[in-house]
Formats: sequence, structure tokens, C-alpha cells
Amino acid sequence: MRKFTTITIVLTLLFLSFIQFYEPKKNSETATFNMFMAIPLYWGSQGNEVRTVQDKLLRWGYYDGYVDGIFGARTYRAVRRFQERNGLNVDGVVGTSTAQALGMASAASGSSTQGINRAGDEYLLARAIHGEARGEPYVGKVAVGAVVLNRVKAPQFPNTIAGVIYQPLAFTAVADGQINLTPNKDSLNAARDALNGWDPTYGCLYYWNPATATSKWIWSRKVTLKIGKHWFGI
Amino acid sequence: MDNKRRHWIAPTVLSLLLIVALIWGYNQNIQKKQLQTSLENHYQRLFYDIKKHTENVQVSLSKALLATTKERNVMNFTQIVSEANSAQDKLNQLPIQHADNNKISKFLTQASDYANYLIDRHLAGEDITDEQREALRGLQMNSATFNGELANLHQSLMESNFMVGMGQGIDEANENVLSTSLVSLDKQIGKSPELIYDGPFSDQILNKKPVGLSGSQVDINQAQQAAVDFFGRNRVAGIEAFEQGENADDLRIPSYTFNLYPSNQQKDFAVYMGVAKQGGTVLWMENPRPAVNKTLTVEQGQEKALEYLRNKGFGSMEPNYSLQYDGIVLYNFVYKQDDVTIYPDLVKVKVALDNGEIVGFDASPYYLNHQERNFGRPEIDVDTARERVKTDFDIDSVRLSLIPKGVNEILCYEFKGKYGDADFIVYINAKNGAEEQILQLIQNENGTLTF
Repeated sequence: MRKFTTITIVLTLLFLSFIQFYEPKKNSETATFNMFMAIPLYWGSQGNEVRTVQDKLLRWGYYDGYVDGIFGARTYRAVRRFQERNGLNVDGVVGTSTAQALGMASAASGSSTQGINRAGDEYLLARAIHGEARGEPYVGKVAVGAVVLNRVKAPQFPNTIAGVIYQPLAFTAVADGQINLTPNKDSLNAARDALNGWDPTYGCLYYWNPATATSKWIWSRKVTLKIGKHWFGI
Repeated sequence: MDNKRRHWIAPTVLSLLLIVALIWGYNQNIQKKQLQTSLENHYQRLFYDIKKHTENVQVSLSKALLATTKERNVMNFTQIVSEANSAQDKLNQLPIQHADNNKISKFLTQASDYANYLIDRHLAGEDITDEQREALRGLQMNSATFNGELANLHQSLMESNFMVGMGQGIDEANENVLSTSLVSLDKQIGKSPELIYDGPFSDQILNKKPVGLSGSQVDINQAQQAAVDFFGRNRVAGIEAFEQGENADDLRIPSYTFNLYPSNQQKDFAVYMGVAKQGGTVLWMENPRPAVNKTLTVEQGQEKALEYLRNKGFGSMEPNYSLQYDGIVLYNFVYKQDDVTIYPDLVKVKVALDNGEIVGFDASPYYLNHQERNFGRPEIDVDTARERVKTDFDIDSVRLSLIPKGVNEILCYEFKGKYGDADFIVYINAKNGAEEQILQLIQNENGTLTF
């Protein structure tokens, strides 16, 4: 009987060690932003197209779940509701006609303008805003987005949105991975407002939280205004 | 007997646990090393690339100073544009504090931008002036210094087997070799004079001051008054100002910013407003409330926006394009003078389609650029201009417009139409017939974007 216990313990440990070493396959798809549609999308589909569908359905009030890129029961029901309301074939599958009704490109597929849009920039900026300023008032979120865009236009910084956001040592939320959180609607709206030209910082290039800022250099900037917890400067 | 057996179990379990932990730790360590090496390799690659790119910039600058023909020089400048851009792009990917490399980064951007400007001048048939030659010489000196410093860095990299990035952790590595040499370089480059030219990254454009504001400076109380009046005195339940820093007046448009609490809205939906200190002019207003139930059409919304603009004293505004999001439409209006569309004088208005309320207003571009203009009349007629446009470009409409070009504004014929399956706008200079600008219009579900 004792022997049996020992063997059980050893086996359990071995089993546990296997679990330890087993790493689930990561879904690397979510890291890239695919500009082209992979339709049809259906229950079980994953990725950014699903995210786009969920985002649109959320905005239009059909969907009430998370924008997580996973086509589940809630997404399915939302798609059906959308199809019902828009006179489409109610099957819960996002095919060509549903995608077109959702306004997801494919109408112009194969044309010279295919894939050109602002969605990539908008989403990336929203993620940066969400990581850096999700506890801030709305104007503070837009202000962070505006600083990123002002940097793109400034010669001393990288000249693309991704370049500015992913510049090493520039944003703490990028360094610690908070940028990979799924942005909420407020952050998405703030990114859009910033891209549409609203700049509550009047051209600022820097911001810092006086409670947490570690760089001495940042205090040598010209201090201009305070929005939420952040000071903004040039 | 039983007790003896129990003595045997505990050590075995523990040693098994230890073995498992060791294997796990070993694997983790290997993984960490692999990641470290690949990141370090990436940084090394960037470093060597930057060195090569800036060497090429320096050589091309020297060639440009020697070259006598515009054709040759255009090639040299093209080289500078691309090499300086690549160097800047890669420099900003290295783990260096922004404080330590921002002047080098600025130097590289402006070198590329300046070369681009000279290409433009050459293509317009102009020769390099003495001042421009002097500026090129200055750029060449700077890139030579930069290259010297990079060569030193390279030397110490080889000697000490120093790692660019992950050697001793990013921050520490920084403070040692990379930063010290970059900081001294940064200071040196910072001393060189401003480049005077006309391009998107030039200091003249970046430091442009508003020309459309008038009136005397107002204090915060007067500005607050202006904000309340603008929104409607009876609709405001409370107002508070944003805290300002000591350098608030160094902003492009020195302003006061306010939180306004409308009497009919919950407190978490404040309205934000920016008021210029000069003249107490309201620059922008944003009301981030959601709008769900659409009762108005996009056209009705546009009428509301136009009416609003008329009430606020913007008389001659023409609707341009619009973008629709949720229940809110963003309209772009541009100023019209003598039947010419003045694109720099832009005002944006957001209308909520649930009750037609104006939920956004931004006239900062307008106040930045608006002034009495004397742009003259076109010197070529519309048919001559049309001949400059590709023959199979299917033109829908033609009109005169003023478009920004660097610090200047140029009068153009604007041809809107279709080429192939896509929509374009082609701008032909109305004075000399040059093809100034081509914009592609991308339609999506929200509206039209220009590229």
C-alpha cells in the first residue's frame, strides 16, 4: 500500500513536470494586423477580422461582449441579429454579403485602393492610449494620442506612428507590455479624435506623471499645462 | 517498518522536486540567452547599418558640393534623402534615451528633408545658392563628426566585446559607452545653425505662429467668460480651468483650457474648451458624449453645422468632406474667398445626429493660417491647365483652390475625377502650370479619406 502511494506521488510529480514544460501554442496571429479579409468568419474563427466584426457590432449596439478576436456564442448571436435587421441571410456566418454590409472592404476587392486605410494606425494608437492613460479623463486620453502624433511630425522623433510608439525607453506601457491590452471604446474614440486633428496639448511633445517620472531630463522640458495626472511640455 | 518507509519518501519527493526545478530553470536560462542573443544581434545590425548609412550621407554631401550639373545633384540628393532617413529610423530603434539622441535624430531628419527641398528647387530649374552651399557644408561637417564618433564607438565595441543592448541590462549599457559618446556629439550638433528652407520638418514650419488671431491679451476670467458665452450662458452649470505650467506661453497658440459642465449632462461628460489668450478667441470645443439614436441625416447635420458656423461668425465656409462614426458626423469646412477654396483655413464641426447638437468644433488650423490674402488671378487658363493632366484622367469637376506648400500657399486648378477604378484630385499650378500635388481619395464606410 505504501509503495503504491509512493509510486502515485512520483507519477503525479512527473505529470506535473510535464505540465510545467508544456507551453500552450501562442496565437501569434493577433500580433499582426491583417489588412486583407479572410472570409468567411464563423463560430470558432479567431483573429483581427473577428475583432473588427466585434468592434463594429459593439459600436452599432448588436454586441455586448468583449472585443477579443474570438468568434463565440455572443458574437454569433450578434451577427444573426445584424443579419436579421439588415435583410441578409440569417446564418450567423460573416460571408461576402454580410462583410459588405458591415462595410469591411471586400466590395472594392482587387482594386488599386484595396487595403489602404487608417485602421492599423487607429488601433495601434488606441492601444498605446489604453496602456498609457486608461485611468485618465477623456481629454487626457486624447492628449496622449496627440503627443504621439506631434512626435511623428517632429524631426527629433521617428516619423511613423509605430516608430514613435515602439521607440525604446519612450513609453513605460510599451516596455511592460500593457500596450497589448485590448483597448476599450473610450480609448478607440480618443485615438480617432486625435487622428482627426483634435490636439488639447497645442503641440506638446512630452508628458509625464510627476508622481512616477524617473527621468531627470524630463524636468528640463518647458512645462505648459496639466491634464488629469499628466503634465505636458515641449 | 512503516516509519522507516516514511523516512524514505520525503527526501525522494524533495529531490525529485529539485530535479524538476533544475530542469525548468535550465530551460528558462537557455530561452533567456536565446532571446538575449537575438535582440543583441538585432541591435548590432542596427548599429552597423547606422554607421554605413551616415557614411553614405557624408560621401553624398561631399559629392553634391563638387557636382556642377543639376541632373547629377538630384541623384546625390536622392541618395542623401534615403540614407539619412534610414539612419534616423534605425537610430531611434536603439535602446538609447531620447535625451541623448534627439539632436542627432533631428539633424538626420532635417538633412533628408533639406535634400528633398533642394531636389524640388533643382527640378524647378533653380541652381544652388551660396547660402545653400554653405548649409550643405555645415551638414557635411556634422555628418563627419557623427561618423568620427561612430568609428570610435565601433573601436570600443570591438575591444571590449561590448554589447549594444542587453549586455548589462539596457539602462546600464546605455549609461556606459553608447550614451557618453552620443551625448557629447549631441551637444556639438546642437550648436550648428538652423537650416533655413521650406519643408515639413524645417524649424520655420514647426515654429509657425498663428496669423489669424487678433485682439489684445485676455486674462483667465475674461477667457472663462468667452468660453461660457460661446457655449451658451444658460446651458453651463459650472466651469473650471486646467492648471497651467510656467512655460504655457511658449505653446504654438498660448491658450486657456476649460472643463465645462453643461446643465443637461451628467458630470462625467464634461465639455472641453480651448480659448486663445490673444483676443479670448474660442479655438476648439469638444463634447465627448455618445449619440445613439440617429434622427437626422448626414445632409441635415451639415445644415446644422453651417448654421452654427454662421452664428459664430464664420461666413464664407464651404463644406468639404465628412466622416461618420456611430451617431456623430465630423464635417470639414474650408474658407472661400473670391470663389477660390482656401484649404489652409480649415474648420471642423462635429454634429450628433440624435438631436442635431454641435458636439465638436475646431478652428485652430483656421486661426493658424487665416489672413487677408492677395493671391492674384490665374496666369494660365483652365484649358491649358487641363492639358497638363493625363489625357485619360476622367475629370468630374474643376475649380480654383489655394493649397499649402511648405510656408507658402499656391493657387491651383483643382481637377477631381477618376483614374482607373480610383478617385483622385490633381492640382495644377495656376501661375506656371506645374503639377503640384496629387491626392488619392479612399472611400470607406465612414466617409472619405485623402492620401
